[in-house]
Amino acid sequence: MAKPKRKTQRHVLTYMEDAVCQLLENREDISQYGIARFFTEYFNSVCQGTHILFREFSFVQATPHNRVSFLRAFWRCFRTVGKNGDLLTMKEYHCLLQLLCPDFPLELTQKAARIVLMDDAMDCLMSFSDFLFAFQIQFYYSEFLDSVAAIYEDLLSGKNPNTVIVPTSSSGQHRQRPALGEAGMLEGVEASLFYQCLENLCDRHKYSCPPPALVKEALSNVQRLTFYGFLMALSKHHGINQALGALPDKGDLMHDPAMDEELERLLLFFRLAQVPGLVNSVTASPEASCLPSRTPPRVGSPWRPLHHHSRKVDGESDGSTEETDESET
Amino acid sequence: MDCQAEVNCGLHLVIQTSSLPEKNKVEFKLNKDTSSFPGRLLQHDLERNYSSRQGDHINLVSSSLSSFPILQRSSEEKILYSDRLSLERQKLTVCPIINGEDHLRLLNFQHNFITRIQNISNLQKLISLDLYDNQIEEISGLSTLRCLRVLLLGKNRIKKISNLENLKSLDVLDLHGNQITKIENINHLCELRVLNLARNFLSHVDNLNGLDSLTELNLRHNQITFVRDVDNLPCLQHLFLSFNNISSFDSVSCLADSSSLSDITFDGNPIAQESWYKHTVLQNMMQLRQLDMKRITEEERRMASVLAKKEEEKKRESHKQSLLKEKKRLTINNVARQWDLQQQRVANIATNEDRKDSDSPQDPCQIDGSTLSAFPEETGPLDSGLNNALQGLSVIDTYLVEVDGDTLSLYGSGALESLDRNWSVQTAGMITTVSFTFIEFDEIVQVLPKLKIKFPNSLHLKFKETNLVMLQQFNALAQLRRIDQLTIDPQGNPVVNFTLWKYYVLFRLSHFSMQKINGTEVTQNDMIMAERLFGILAHVASSELPQYRLISILGDARKKQFRYLLESKGKKPGIINEENNDSKRLVGENTNRATLNYTTRDFYNEKLEEIKEKKKFCKTYIEDLVKEATEINMKNEALQKLWPQMFIELVRDAVIEIRNKNSYMKLCLQQITDQK
Repeated sequence: MAKPKRKTQRHVLTYMEDAVCQLLENREDISQYGIARFFTEYFNSVCQGTHILFREFSFVQATPHNRVSFLRAFWRCFRTVGKNGDLLTMKEYHCLLQLLCPDFPLELTQKAARIVLMDDAMDCLMSFSDFLFAFQIQFYYSEFLDSVAAIYEDLLSGKNPNTVIVPTSSSGQHRQRPALGEAGMLEGVEASLFYQCLENLCDRHKYSCPPPALVKEALSNVQRLTFYGFLMALSKHHGINQALGALPDKGDLMHDPAMDEELERLLLFFRLAQVPGLVNSVTASPEASCLPSRTPPRVGSPWRPLHHHSRKVDGESDGSTEETDESET
Repeated sequence: MDCQAEVNCGLHLVIQTSSLPEKNKVEFKLNKDTSSFPGRLLQHDLERNYSSRQGDHINLVSSSLSSFPILQRSSEEKILYSDRLSLERQKLTVCPIINGEDHLRLLNFQHNFITRIQNISNLQKLISLDLYDNQIEEISGLSTLRCLRVLLLGKNRIKKISNLENLKSLDVLDLHGNQITKIENINHLCELRVLNLARNFLSHVDNLNGLDSLTELNLRHNQITFVRDVDNLPCLQHLFLSFNNISSFDSVSCLADSSSLSDITFDGNPIAQESWYKHTVLQNMMQLRQLDMKRITEEERRMASVLAKKEEEKKRESHKQSLLKEKKRLTINNVARQWDLQQQRVANIATNEDRKDSDSPQDPCQIDGSTLSAFPEETGPLDSGLNNALQGLSVIDTYLVEVDGDTLSLYGSGALESLDRNWSVQTAGMITTVSFTFIEFDEIVQVLPKLKIKFPNSLHLKFKETNLVMLQQFNALAQLRRIDQLTIDPQGNPVVNFTLWKYYVLFRLSHFSMQKINGTEVTQNDMIMAERLFGILAHVASSELPQYRLISILGDARKKQFRYLLESKGKKPGIINEENNDSKRLVGENTNRATLNYTTRDFYNEKLEEIKEKKKFCKTYIEDLVKEATEINMKNEALQKLWPQMFIELVRDAVIEIRNKNSYMKLCLQQITDQK
């Protein structure tokens, strides 16, 4: 029997397990309309990246695909907040995250905020794009970053860097500031040495790592770097962002023409609903709530690698059960 | 000219002069109305219509020896009127010396110009001395008149009451029309029955002790502002305070304590102008029979007592109210203290926990609030006394429920149980505002359905010190019927510090068309901004969720609707799009954000715990399936490998068998017969 890569196999199993679990939970409802349909819907939503919506954190972080989907969902849902120009605190961003994932841990958000704020005043306001990119790095590569933190600590304290330690979740990114005297003289660690260790880490790490080549690129310009400096560099690196494939480039972050169109339509109906007599009031109007239910056309979004694939697949299958396809035809 | 001088004393002694002043006819008439005059002999004498031409027999001889004129009467006069002498209107400027009349009992000096009381010390049997209408400035010269019972000094210029020490038998003292400013030096007059101090300059009344026989006290036409000591007069029946400056009953409060008073006048005082005048007086002086010279009817008395009772009630009620208020204040303080303790305790635990724990430090629900406060038993009953404000007050130490008109206020988590009470439809219907203080929002969420049912008209919700920390918590409010106004007090609700909280509220609760948040009107722009910010979230939450997720999130009611729809439309995989649309139409208002729910942390963790079992099962199940599948796959692959060889062998065997036709035929036949 051909043995596919352990990683992918495990993830498929994860989805299978989760699907069966969901089936068990919603037995009565699903039995009404058929198990086959359920599975179809489930895996379709996995492909589209909507499966992580309002799910528990343990599921959201279970696979890299889930993480990417979550990041994208967060971006799509709250891009408007960023577009509005509001600067929010870490706690507020955490709130927004919790809207999509009720038990999202504060710790992760805090770590992401630390990257943006360079471990400084944690009450500072952050812009949407800054936070989002930092959060992406922190969330997607969280295990990797834990290891990096450990390595950094070792390097700081001068230990042998070649012994790569894979830490448990308990040794987090507890960065202890070196004594003031030392900090003044040597800021951070030497870049090249650091990179060597990272390379070793990437080879052995079972969790996802950023592509080493890109990491090297990120480190190429500096002699020495601090931990948060490194993370900041990672979050700002376009290549890594593209490799992840979750978010568009920074420049395009606020662009989502499909969603904008949808939003305008929503707003139009909303405004119309406010005019008495023109349309039934928003509360009673089925149209208003119905219309947005049609998913937006998926054409014209160049930066959606996942859906790019899924569309192809869907196009081939018959008996399309997807609304998307219906709107496309 | 008839001159009728009425000296208002209890005796109604009327002294009339005849039309001929020269004749000096003095008539002593006594009004038959008089009741009690102790000196019977005097009354007896005076009742005789006594007119005499006394004057003819009086000679005032000015003596060259002294400056005082000397009075002489003819012996005839002396025998006829031996005990009385009238020197009325004699244009006297001084008291004349009266010789040989030492048994005189009544002496009349009315209407003269006498400035000093003199030369009468020898008249030690004098009972009545009348100096009305003179110019006397000081009371003096009376120290020998120990038998004096009636002293009339009205209409003089007396500034001070003094020198009455020896007049212990005094029965009537008339000092009206003088310039007296202070009541003094009369405390020894224990037989005094009538005291007239009208038309003086008195500003207050006190120092009346010792007048144990006083029945009538006339204080009309003064400037009296307050009255004291009247309750020390055991016999006082008539008190005239007309035309003074009394403005409140408090200034004459001692009158209420006097049990003997039956007749009082207040007319001409500011107090008499008040609307409550009559009632107040009657209430406080139930013993009165006459007020302002008018008899008090039984009806009035009854009304007064009824009103007095009402007053008492009101006072008691307001006292009770203030007590209750105090108790309420204390209770609220207690609740606040408990709340602070609870919050601190949680904070301590959070900081003590390892920071690497995934639990957020903002998690207040770890502590069960009820373990801190003992479950108290209900004591105070629901109080509904007054007509206007239904004051429902149930005061216990650790929580407080208060109904005040249209507002229901709940303090402390124990108060939430009160929602289970049997509220009268009227009370419950009147409530438009519900205020929660010192209660965890997560606990409030659990009673919101009850609130919806029991208080259908509640339109305004207020939250203070309720630990609102996440935007998500507002999702819980969507289940209510309607909210017009929302007030989230910054104190104890960190969520207010977020920039976007108002917009989120407007977005999530847009179907309520809220009018005010925290006191500020909600504008169209606000609503549009809210939609703009979160509209996509709603869109994603509705359209991109797979059907089964929608249903499981939306809950039972909608499940039923959807089921109904399925049954009626017929189940067909493939026509799912239509059903999707229809179901969304049916699921009702604001589907697109209905999936944004809030489950309290406790519930959520419970659910996750429950799922753990299932997850474990699923894992093993899938693993078994995978094992099976791989086994089958392996077998399949093995078969694939082996099959060519097997096929060849099969073919070879068959060919070998058939090589010899004859023997093969024989073999087959043999096989057939064997079978039978």
